[in-house]
Amino acid sequence: MRHKYTKELFTHRTGGDLPTIVVAESENFQSKFVVQKVLELREQGIPLNTIAVLFRSGYLSFDLEIELNKANVPFVKFGGFKFIETAHIKDMVAYLRVLENPRDAVAWNRILLLVEGVGPRTAEKVIDDVLARRVTTAGDSSRTLPAFWTGFAGYPDRVSDLFGALKDASPSHIAPADKVQMLLNYYEPVFKRRYDDFNKRRKDLDMFQQITERYRSLGTLLTDLALEPATESVTDITPPGTDDEKLVLSTIHSAKGLEWHTVFVIYALEGRFPASRAAVSEESMEEERRLMYVACTRAQQNLFITYPINIYDRESGLVLSKPSRFIAGLPENLLDTWVVDEE
Amino acid sequence: MKKYTLKKSLFKDAPEPEPPQHFRIDYRNQLNPAQYQAVSSVNGPHLIIAGAGTGKTRTITYRVAYLVELGVKPESILLLTFTRRASQEMLRRASILLDARCEKVAGGTFHSFANQILRQYAPLLDFDSSFSILDQGDAEDVVNLLRTQYKFDTKERRFPRKQTLYTIFSRAVNTLTAVKDILKEDYPHYEDFLEDILRLQSAFEQYKATHNMMDYDDLLIYLRKLLRDHDKVRRTLSDRYRYLMVDEYQDTNRIQAEIVTLLASSHGNIMVVGDDAQSIYSFRGATIRNILDFPESFPGCTLIKLEENYRSTQPILNLTNEILRRARE
Repeated sequence: MRHKYTKELFTHRTGGDLPTIVVAESENFQSKFVVQKVLELREQGIPLNTIAVLFRSGYLSFDLEIELNKANVPFVKFGGFKFIETAHIKDMVAYLRVLENPRDAVAWNRILLLVEGVGPRTAEKVIDDVLARRVTTAGDSSRTLPAFWTGFAGYPDRVSDLFGALKDASPSHIAPADKVQMLLNYYEPVFKRRYDDFNKRRKDLDMFQQITERYRSLGTLLTDLALEPATESVTDITPPGTDDEKLVLSTIHSAKGLEWHTVFVIYALEGRFPASRAAVSEESMEEERRLMYVACTRAQQNLFITYPINIYDRESGLVLSKPSRFIAGLPENLLDTWVVDEE
Repeated sequence: MKKYTLKKSLFKDAPEPEPPQHFRIDYRNQLNPAQYQAVSSVNGPHLIIAGAGTGKTRTITYRVAYLVELGVKPESILLLTFTRRASQEMLRRASILLDARCEKVAGGTFHSFANQILRQYAPLLDFDSSFSILDQGDAEDVVNLLRTQYKFDTKERRFPRKQTLYTIFSRAVNTLTAVKDILKEDYPHYEDFLEDILRLQSAFEQYKATHNMMDYDDLLIYLRKLLRDHDKVRRTLSDRYRYLMVDEYQDTNRIQAEIVTLLASSHGNIMVVGDDAQSIYSFRGATIRNILDFPESFPGCTLIKLEENYRSTQPILNLTNEILRRARE
């Protein structure tokens, strides 16, 4: 059985410094090293957004994030929460989904539970009622629907309000963005009651409505949202404009296909990278090696691989201090080694 | 009723296009020799091993342009990529390189392609074409709903949580592994629950079907089912997409590889591009075996390696080459 295609990458470019392994005596020293080096590079005219710090798992950058904040270095992090996964956007999407597919019990459940005073039992009753109508929409749902939304009687006023809002938004001649606007009006009090930080979240709803402007069909909109959740929450990203030069922090998985002038691979430490659970099989250990390969091949000009020593691992009760096996014991002519020291 | 037969000989497919005397793009000079070989390969199976930074996007872009310049109908080229943005970007660049015909090339992710085909053929699979797509969170909610309904969780025993259950179901689908074996390997403490977990799994499948819903895995599963069980549809689609290109092949899963094989069934014109050394998505069900075994799955396949790097300095490449050299043979 074949395990790899051997390959030997080469370039016609000449020059370049050796990649550097950086040993730091603690996690915080590692963070401070990255911060100071990034500032130096910035001094030399290397824009922040051409520098990336990569790590095996999202949590490995927490200490660095604190140091970056202290030093006022702006950064953006990839591999975290996505826009579409935020609760308030999921609420809006659920309203749209029942418009498109009235049998969507998951979406029904979500929007019914948003109604004040409705619990799981009422929600279930309403859903049974809806499903009992057995609409098959066969393609263009909106055409058959307005009639569908009438005649649900005997529910608390607030549930009737929901049906009213859905009915108003259902006609097919109403564009998706207008449907969203109508449903936002209905959603407003729900939203305010439900989320203490609604002011911060409102930006996401604005952006959501902006996105829907581009669509003529609700079905296409929903498909795109489900399949291509592209944008991050605005609470996490910069508005595009003048001040968007930011250092990139990313998990290696999210760095796939990208490149930067300078790359830092942090936490190249046995037990962190490779993660300790990777030891269960040769396959998963080989995949960790490929992750290291992916991380290092993102660098154009400078590559720093750092690891802290004396890291206490609560899970195993061990102190981690060995460099990652993927960079340990390499021929000396391939690497420089630095040790971080304090003034 | 009378039968009126259309003669096959009268309506043959258009003959293979004659290559133009002069290409508008100087492929040979704008590409390195390995890239050129990949770009100018037309028929039959091809495996392109594209190392990091070796101009993979450029190669795919030029090949799209090359095929179109050769006279291949753009609509008959299907380009499947890891993200939809990737295919859009490649087709946009090809259009700039050649002309707007390249925009008519069919492109997208496996999931978006599956979605598009399934909307058209949903009734064959007992779905409405307005089916909803469940994301991971939604699917977990359904699992939780059923888990509660069945009262599997009691004070006496701790039944797996919804995330765990959905991970198990999804892994079973994506890696074509029995639930039993997944439990044995990763969740031995839940092995006793096998029967209930299986009941929950079939309830979950039933629920989605009844409510006209598909999760991400279903999109691929049902596309494969459509292609497998409906010969006519498979022939139609395979004839429609005469030239298949799949990017990031190292991160495809087994179902995706089967879909590719089914789609290629009537012509075998399939070019996959990727780098086994960058296969990092096994936790999502991807298997490096697809790219490693491609030559065995498609006998007569031509292997082309792109090794000239345009990104990094030689000292960086020396290190990364060494990291790779130590990988298992």
